[in-house]
Amino acid sequence: MEFVLLIFFPVLAAIFVPILFRKLKSIHTGWFVLIIPITLFIYYTGFIQTTMNGGHAISSLEWIPSLDISFVSYIDGLSLLFSLLITGIGALVVLYSIFYLDKTREKLNNFYVYLLMFMTAMLGIVQSDNIITLYLFWELTSISSFLLIGYWYTRDGSRFGALKSMLITVFGGLMMLGGFVLLGIMGDTYSIRELIANASNLVGQEFFILALVLVLLGAFTKSAQFPFYIWLPDAMEAPTPVSAYLHSATMVKAGLYLVARFTPVFAVSEVWIWLVTGIGLLTLFWGAFFAVKQTDLKAILAFSTVSQLGLIMSLLGASAISYHVDAGTALFKFAGFAAVFHLINHAVFKGSLFMVAGIVDHETGTRDIRKLGGLMGVMPISFTVAFIGSMSMAGLPPFGGFLSKELFLTSTLALKDFNLFNFSTWGIIFPIVAWIASVFTFIYSFYFVFKTFAGKRKKESLSVEPKEAPVGMLIAPVILAVLVVVIFFIPNVVGDTLVNPAVVAMQAGLYSHPSEVLVHVSAWHGWTPELLMTLGIIGLGSILFLTMRKWQPLYNLQPELLSLNGLYDSLMMAGEKGMNRLSRLYMTGVFRTYLIYMFVSIVVITLATLFIKDAFKVDFNSFAPLNAYGILTAVLLILSVVMILTAKTRITAVIALGGVGYSVAFFFVIYKAPDLALTQLVIETITVVLFLLAFHRLPELKRHGESKGFRLGNFIVAAGVGITMALVALSAHSQKLIPSISQFYKDTVYSEAGGGNIVNVILVDYRGFDTLFEIAVLSIAGIGVYSMIRLKLPGKGSTDESK
Amino acid sequence: MNMINLLILPILLPFLFAVILLFLKENIRAQRLLTIVGLVVSLAAALRLIWKVKTAGVQTITLGSWPAPFGISLVSDMLSVLLVTTSILITILIVLYSFTAIGEARERFYYYPAVLFMLTGINGAFTTGDIFNMFVFFEVLLIASYVLIVLGGEKRQLRESIKYLLVNVISSALFVVTVGLLYSVVGTLNMADISAKIAEVGQPGIITVIAVLFLLVFGIKGALFPLYFWLPGSYSAPPMPVLALFGALLTKVGLYAITRTYTLFFIHDVAFTHELLLVLSVLTVIMGCVGALAYFDLKQIIIYNIIIAVGVILFGVSQMNEAGMSGAIFYLIHDMLIKAALFILIGIIISVTGTSNLRNMGGLMKTHTSLGWMYLITVFGLVGIPPLSGFIGKLLIVQGGFEAGNTWATVIILISSIIVLLSAMRIFVYAFWGEPVKLPKSDRRSYRKEMLPATLLVVISIVYGVSTEWLIPYMADASDILLNPSIYIDAVLKE
Repeated sequence: MEFVLLIFFPVLAAIFVPILFRKLKSIHTGWFVLIIPITLFIYYTGFIQTTMNGGHAISSLEWIPSLDISFVSYIDGLSLLFSLLITGIGALVVLYSIFYLDKTREKLNNFYVYLLMFMTAMLGIVQSDNIITLYLFWELTSISSFLLIGYWYTRDGSRFGALKSMLITVFGGLMMLGGFVLLGIMGDTYSIRELIANASNLVGQEFFILALVLVLLGAFTKSAQFPFYIWLPDAMEAPTPVSAYLHSATMVKAGLYLVARFTPVFAVSEVWIWLVTGIGLLTLFWGAFFAVKQTDLKAILAFSTVSQLGLIMSLLGASAISYHVDAGTALFKFAGFAAVFHLINHAVFKGSLFMVAGIVDHETGTRDIRKLGGLMGVMPISFTVAFIGSMSMAGLPPFGGFLSKELFLTSTLALKDFNLFNFSTWGIIFPIVAWIASVFTFIYSFYFVFKTFAGKRKKESLSVEPKEAPVGMLIAPVILAVLVVVIFFIPNVVGDTLVNPAVVAMQAGLYSHPSEVLVHVSAWHGWTPELLMTLGIIGLGSILFLTMRKWQPLYNLQPELLSLNGLYDSLMMAGEKGMNRLSRLYMTGVFRTYLIYMFVSIVVITLATLFIKDAFKVDFNSFAPLNAYGILTAVLLILSVVMILTAKTRITAVIALGGVGYSVAFFFVIYKAPDLALTQLVIETITVVLFLLAFHRLPELKRHGESKGFRLGNFIVAAGVGITMALVALSAHSQKLIPSISQFYKDTVYSEAGGGNIVNVILVDYRGFDTLFEIAVLSIAGIGVYSMIRLKLPGKGSTDESK
Repeated sequence: MNMINLLILPILLPFLFAVILLFLKENIRAQRLLTIVGLVVSLAAALRLIWKVKTAGVQTITLGSWPAPFGISLVSDMLSVLLVTTSILITILIVLYSFTAIGEARERFYYYPAVLFMLTGINGAFTTGDIFNMFVFFEVLLIASYVLIVLGGEKRQLRESIKYLLVNVISSALFVVTVGLLYSVVGTLNMADISAKIAEVGQPGIITVIAVLFLLVFGIKGALFPLYFWLPGSYSAPPMPVLALFGALLTKVGLYAITRTYTLFFIHDVAFTHELLLVLSVLTVIMGCVGALAYFDLKQIIIYNIIIAVGVILFGVSQMNEAGMSGAIFYLIHDMLIKAALFILIGIIISVTGTSNLRNMGGLMKTHTSLGWMYLITVFGLVGIPPLSGFIGKLLIVQGGFEAGNTWATVIILISSIIVLLSAMRIFVYAFWGEPVKLPKSDRRSYRKEMLPATLLVVISIVYGVSTEWLIPYMADASDILLNPSIYIDAVLKE
């Protein structure tokens, strides 16, 4: 079967969701939806055997072959791991949502359509070999995330949170597209595999670094890295199943996927290693540090997600170092393995924690940790799940998180031994930052579970009597919690089936078979530095957790304005008020101003071109000889113009305008163009007469509010336009480069066209088509004037659009 | 039917029907019917012409059977015929929208003839192969647009019409002067002949000056920086169907003219002329972005988006490479479709809410769900989210920009998409989401009728995006001729 089509299975199935929702009201729509991820999950497990042997599978569907754009599903260890996460966690989340979202009150049709759309998009991202269609799916995740965050769209938090997440992730997507196009230009292909195979030719090309940075912008925005993470806490406005699914387990890992996938292309670059590792570590610290400040359960989890994503990111950066050291010095191999391993662990424990947060919210009516406490007794199962998840997050045994945390510490310690790119000098920073961040991770993990479940009940602050969640809602989190424990005991099974094949895929060229990734994970590995570090984390973490009440208020010292959120808000304000003010500076609404802009630009651009291109030439020999009539007419013309400008009444101005026209007609007479002179005279006469007719309806001529400076400015602009036109016209006249085609008309006017007057024949024969439509112009003007006079509709006063 | 004359039909058919309609002033039903009939017949002719151009190459005819540079030549190459077809199609849908949206009073006062006259001018400008004749067709479309902008005689319309008229009279004067200057230097008006003769003398400085003047003339029509200032005010005055027509079609004629002259005539000093075009187009994008963010008025937001698109398209043209050029053409046609759809949609929003101020709207998703979804899809098309219509154009333009080495300008073009998204999504977030506000009583039936053309346009734009593969041969033909003027010249001059 062409399994590329399976990517589209969820979104196609979504078509039936609204129908099922409307027709089968008695059954929760989620039950039907559940079938889809389960089917896909089972199907994808069938590939495990292939990838464990280092194999892969490809299936493709043409879209725009002419531009090398097609849907290619390429399943190797990395994409399979993600596909299983997407469908597996997806199934659990759908199951959970069936009990979380009420079938009578909620718009389940919308919810599940968005969710299925997202599933397609996410599968598309991780399976696409073609970067252009990868981009397509990438934006589709942003859109479905937007719709899901805005699910309760009447709330301001939802709609503006949705907008924020969309702006940031689509921005990243666009930058990534730029990077992809550059890769396409450099490598002459849009296929990731071919780019990887061709990687050595890409290095050092002009666009290489730019492409790298642009691709990373895409990854960092999506995976909520510093400073782009600010959209993720706001995304918590989405229903909790969505937060569990998109905003912790899958979508935010798309950026990690991208970095992992492109490691073989970019790993040779120092910029890549520094950026990915550095930003990852910074994000790890930043997220952990601010998680402790939060009071909303989901906000704690959001910051913790940011932090954990940073952790995995930094591991991915460190794993790129493998390309710079001999295969023998195998310390850096840990990084790649640890990244993938922690990615799995995080998806599992964070999924369960979000579900618990949802349960608490559902059963107590609040997520504010200050109002919670002592729920252990009434919600024992939820507490157990939360406990397991949090301890795994804190990196304690016997939970999966402990193992990957240890591997992470090993990798950061190894960084200082890397002796390229100044790492031997600066590398020591990495384990230190990692350690401090881990302390905070420890604190917020404890903070999350114990402030909610331990301590005294705060009865007065809750509006409802809390009770344990219904069984159905507990199934999914319990499954995840069990997995957290299971992974601790069989890490190497997970390693062999899922992690190693993924590592091979992301470090293409370094291994030829998954079994060569010789990482053996064990819970006990002697008194190593990393174990000592963990003990330190537990020690300091515990002290700080117990004294938390004393120092937590210190966070409030940071003014909101100086935060990154403050920056985003002020950017948005700049976008509204600032742009409005800026725009109003020049969009004055006064038409005269606009004309001045336009005329000045025309003059400046034309004159500049004239002189830059050295095009100004006057050939006096080409001019007709000057005579007394000519001079006289010119004087008349100038006098008339001056008269218009100084006229006190309209009638003088109109008569002077007529004078201008007549003097032009005289020029035609003097220089032997009787037809033109005749036409000009007729037109001038009619114009003046018409003007006079319309006159008595016009108000007095007033020159109001015209200062001297204003009139001078107008004079300069007007003179500028006139002089420019004159200079260009003189130059054009003096540079007749090619003789005109008019000789043809002289030759044929009598013999072919049978006419005596060349102008007439041009008008009615050679260029009769022009004349036809010139006549049409007059007729249309006629109906226009008629309609304008006869039809006067009252304006709609209410729609004043100038605001 | 004599197939040699096929290319003149999209000009003459709307013209003919417009003239017939003049005699049916009071009979609105007959006017509507005949307008649609006339347009559908024109569309059929245009489609037939596409096929002819695809199979037999560039179509030309020199009127009055005078030999080529001496009479007026009409030339249908793929670009021109694609634009002609798109224009007719859009006009049909906007006319459908007008049935409910324009009001009987205007219908009685030559609304439909004016629309058809304008289409005559537009199709003429796209088809002509003679630079002076192009001026004439510009006049036809302009005079018809004057009629449309003033029709109804509301105070606001009158105020903005006089400005619109003034700016266009100025640009027309500049146009005719520039044509005169060009004639003085190269002694011919036939566009193929001009191209051949400029190639002969190798574009000395004076021709470059004339090139710049042409850019300025068409830049006024096409709303290029620093000449677009007149547009936001003038476009906000007429009723929505007229605005939709203007927004979708008029600036595009200016763009076409720039594209044509900058690929056919002035290609021997690209380092100067096309660099200028590039700089101006990037500035246009930036200024458009400022405006699109600055206002909370629906019309203004979309009007400024016209300006952004103008910049993006001309940026593609200025690259003078295959990717940039075919991207520009893809994007140009996309933009015509999507702007028509957007204007109709915001027209519906305005008529439903009774205001165009975004701050007074909210929660339309509850009462007008399909309108909301339609609008959202259109926005994604506008931004260029694949597989919708704007994507391929933008992709190719970006590729062209990078290939030509204009790295930072290209990044600006990419970033502009996010501003477009923000400005258009603001409408969605404020008007469709949020707490519902009380709506004035409106006629549900006319709402449904108006949704029809909007939906059709959205569907067409989706198909346009998805079926890219099928369109590529046509786009390739179009950009081929732009990049190889000799094909155009040979088709006209060598018979």
